[in-house]
Amino acid sequence: MTVTTGVTLSERAATHIKNFLAKRGSGVGLKLGVRTSGCSGMAYKLEFADAADPEDIQFESHGVTVFIDPKSLSYLEGTELDFVREGLNEGFKFNNPNVKSECGCGESFNV
Amino acid sequence: MALLQISEPGLSTAPHQHRLAVGIDLGTTNSLVATVRNGVSVVLNDAAGHGLLPSVVRYHKDGVTSVGFTAQSQAALDPHNTITSVKRFMGRGVKDIPDLSTLPYQFIDAPGMVQLKTVAGVKSPVEVSAEILKVLKARAEASLGGELVGAVITVPAYFDDAQRQATKDAAKVAGLNVLRLLNEPTAAAIAYGLDNASEGIYAVYDLGGGTFDISILKLTKGVFEVLATNGDSALGGDDFDRRVYCWMLEQAGLHTLSDHDKTLLMARARAAKETLSDHAQAQVTAVLGSGEVIDLNLSEQAFNEMTDSLVRKTLAPTRKALRDAGLQAGDVKGVVMVGGSTRIPRIQAAVGEFFGQTPLTNLDPDKVVALGAAIQANVLAGNKAGDDWLLLDVVPLSLGLETMGGLTEKIIPRNATIPTARAQEFTTFKDGQTAMSIHVVQGERELVADCRSLARFELRGIPPMVAGAARIRVTFQVDADGLLSVTAREMGTGIESHIAVKPSYGLTDDEVAGMLRDSYAHAQDDMTARNLAEARVDGQRLVEAAEAALTENGALLLAAEELLAIEKRIADLKLALREGDLSSVKRATEALNKGTVEFAARRMDQSVKKALTGHKLDELEF
Amino acid sequence: MLDFSRNHFELFALPMLFGIDAEQLDQAYRNIQTEIHPDKFAHAGEAEQRLSMQWSTRVNEAYQTLRKPFERARYLLQLHGIDAMDAKNTVMPADFLMRQMEWREALLEAREGRDIKALQGLEKDLQAHARQLQDQLASLLDAQRDYIEAGNVLRKVRFMDKLLDEIDATYEAIE
Repeated sequence: MTVTTGVTLSERAATHIKNFLAKRGSGVGLKLGVRTSGCSGMAYKLEFADAADPEDIQFESHGVTVFIDPKSLSYLEGTELDFVREGLNEGFKFNNPNVKSECGCGESFNV
Repeated sequence: MALLQISEPGLSTAPHQHRLAVGIDLGTTNSLVATVRNGVSVVLNDAAGHGLLPSVVRYHKDGVTSVGFTAQSQAALDPHNTITSVKRFMGRGVKDIPDLSTLPYQFIDAPGMVQLKTVAGVKSPVEVSAEILKVLKARAEASLGGELVGAVITVPAYFDDAQRQATKDAAKVAGLNVLRLLNEPTAAAIAYGLDNASEGIYAVYDLGGGTFDISILKLTKGVFEVLATNGDSALGGDDFDRRVYCWMLEQAGLHTLSDHDKTLLMARARAAKETLSDHAQAQVTAVLGSGEVIDLNLSEQAFNEMTDSLVRKTLAPTRKALRDAGLQAGDVKGVVMVGGSTRIPRIQAAVGEFFGQTPLTNLDPDKVVALGAAIQANVLAGNKAGDDWLLLDVVPLSLGLETMGGLTEKIIPRNATIPTARAQEFTTFKDGQTAMSIHVVQGERELVADCRSLARFELRGIPPMVAGAARIRVTFQVDADGLLSVTAREMGTGIESHIAVKPSYGLTDDEVAGMLRDSYAHAQDDMTARNLAEARVDGQRLVEAAEAALTENGALLLAAEELLAIEKRIADLKLALREGDLSSVKRATEALNKGTVEFAARRMDQSVKKALTGHKLDELEF
Repeated sequence: MLDFSRNHFELFALPMLFGIDAEQLDQAYRNIQTEIHPDKFAHAGEAEQRLSMQWSTRVNEAYQTLRKPFERARYLLQLHGIDAMDAKNTVMPADFLMRQMEWREALLEAREGRDIKALQGLEKDLQAHARQLQDQLASLLDAQRDYIEAGNVLRKVRFMDKLLDEIDATYEAIE
């Protein structure tokens, strides 16, 4: 596999993340990852990061540091994390080019 | 499609596992719903971007119900069918509502709780409140993209048992699973305490639209301990409006008014009060139904004078709460202001003067209760939060029984930490007496007539004995929602009578079920589907809880065959959840419940041991 | 099934003494409640919810008993088989009763004259006396183990507590 673009945040997503981190009062950035589970095999992990794990690969996007473990990166390569509103609902959405199928709920996927 | 939220480190839930839970502030004037999202408690807005939902319900002829801003804006057009401030009628009888005659509603004096005659039929305050809750529930489900597992509903700390029970019933009618009834000042303290991470004594002064609460809390190492609470469940911003309203009538020389004009002038009175929060003068203008024009000028000073007695009325309970807590005003480290009415400058000044410090107003006083309730809901639903804390709340008003001569005998004193239980023995006073009536009351006064009557019930079948020989043990249990249940037992024979204190003032379970059915109007199928859905949620929750318990200490606390037996019942319930109908899901749930009683007891013992071992370790560090 | 055989002191792992460390009691109480309070089981099974309410109720009762000196002493005496508040035990020394009467008169005067200063003075006086009685109790219960005499002192404490309650009520009436 070739490491190319990594992972980016949309500007909107970055603004919200910075805002949440500020309200939380601590944290060095955002930790992304994937785990096996869920109805379509894989599930995203989206967490606050309190410290950098030396194994993690770091990306910088619109002023937010994003940490990803190397294993997860292969599934997330080229992904853009966006923040969207759908009616009253709002939250983060992974635009992941590696995904072949996704469960209806969007919380898990297959590559 | 569910959108994702950011979790705390290491706490990402598996897909579909995050339990959606909300906090609801069911207020006299406005209601709100909030939730924890991306680690932050936020108020959920409606499509128009409004967080506050006016607690106003209008019933239309065609059976349609409108709630919130639309209902509020039409209040003057249809005063009889537009119910505002319904919270003041919750769990209240006709004689408990002092200004009944000035209200535009047609009250019906039903036993225990008033009812309102509307164009859509007779409505209980419980049903009216349920309409507000339904709107908030729908808003939350649209915002969160799924069904709620439950809600924390806030109530004034000074609400008595009848008012609390009515609130819980309203939530049930709205189809909400109540995780906990939470006292409003305590909710506010959570919102403040977690933000400020403070230790020490705090006072929460909560003046809402129709209720006043004062709570004194001690914050220690993540424990919020309510030391004392006091208040007045019939004092709030509405009373300030009414003073202004009366002043307007006086100034304009008005006497008899139509209901339309009354509602209009009350709205103007409220607007004037709100203007005075940041202006020295308010101009009041209105055109009455007759065409008569009202044009008055209200100065802040005049307003302060006409409402001075109301402000002072809040300080007496404040003093009492401090005294009950064994503290002085100077011991209080911070004073938190809650409720829209604390925007009145005179109130901030009076409270500041009383405590000798500037009150804290950095969180929006309208939203802080809902924000705190959401944080608690998130924890109660089992979504682990980064911080772990504990709330220890109290009973606001003493609970007791009527004894000879119409006197009250207190069983559970006010400010007892909940959950709590207390038993007292009584005896017969006549030879051969075989029945004894028990009258449960709440309040601080010595005469039963001055307290609130909660329930009456009769213990029958006492074996005939000489006077004074029977021993009847009456046990009061107050649960973590602050709700009372009473059990009576004749100790010689073991004859027992149990009541959840409900029937005499409120709604029976059947009545609540009836309202639920009504809200699902014509659909028996809906009801069946709903029952099955509810049973499944319960069953699923139990499976998760049992599996989590087994993982945690099943191996440690259970013998191999015991472990197998529980696992078998879990498997049975899972099967029923996949394939079964209502009765098989219920049966399997019940079986697993029964099968885990002993395990639960051992786990609880283990927890206590763990707490004490932890404590000894702390000691060693000294 | 619920293990209620442990007494309140054992529950909090405290020595069976009148002179307990209040800080240690508070901490043990908070630690146990943190583990077993119903809020920790709001999403658990029915059995655990019920047990947690029973446990939490029991721990609250134990804490309230041990926290207040009067209740703690009364409970200790009960554990030693003495019901100090038995209705038959009503005899009080004459000099103590005299003082009681003087205090009551002073209270009545303060109430009628709406004299907060006098009330505060009386309260201080009574509190000092109550503390003396407590010291006496501690010595009788923990050192001398004279439970009969401790019962006599405890009944005096009860008198004092009642008077202090009346002072509270008087504050409310005056204010």
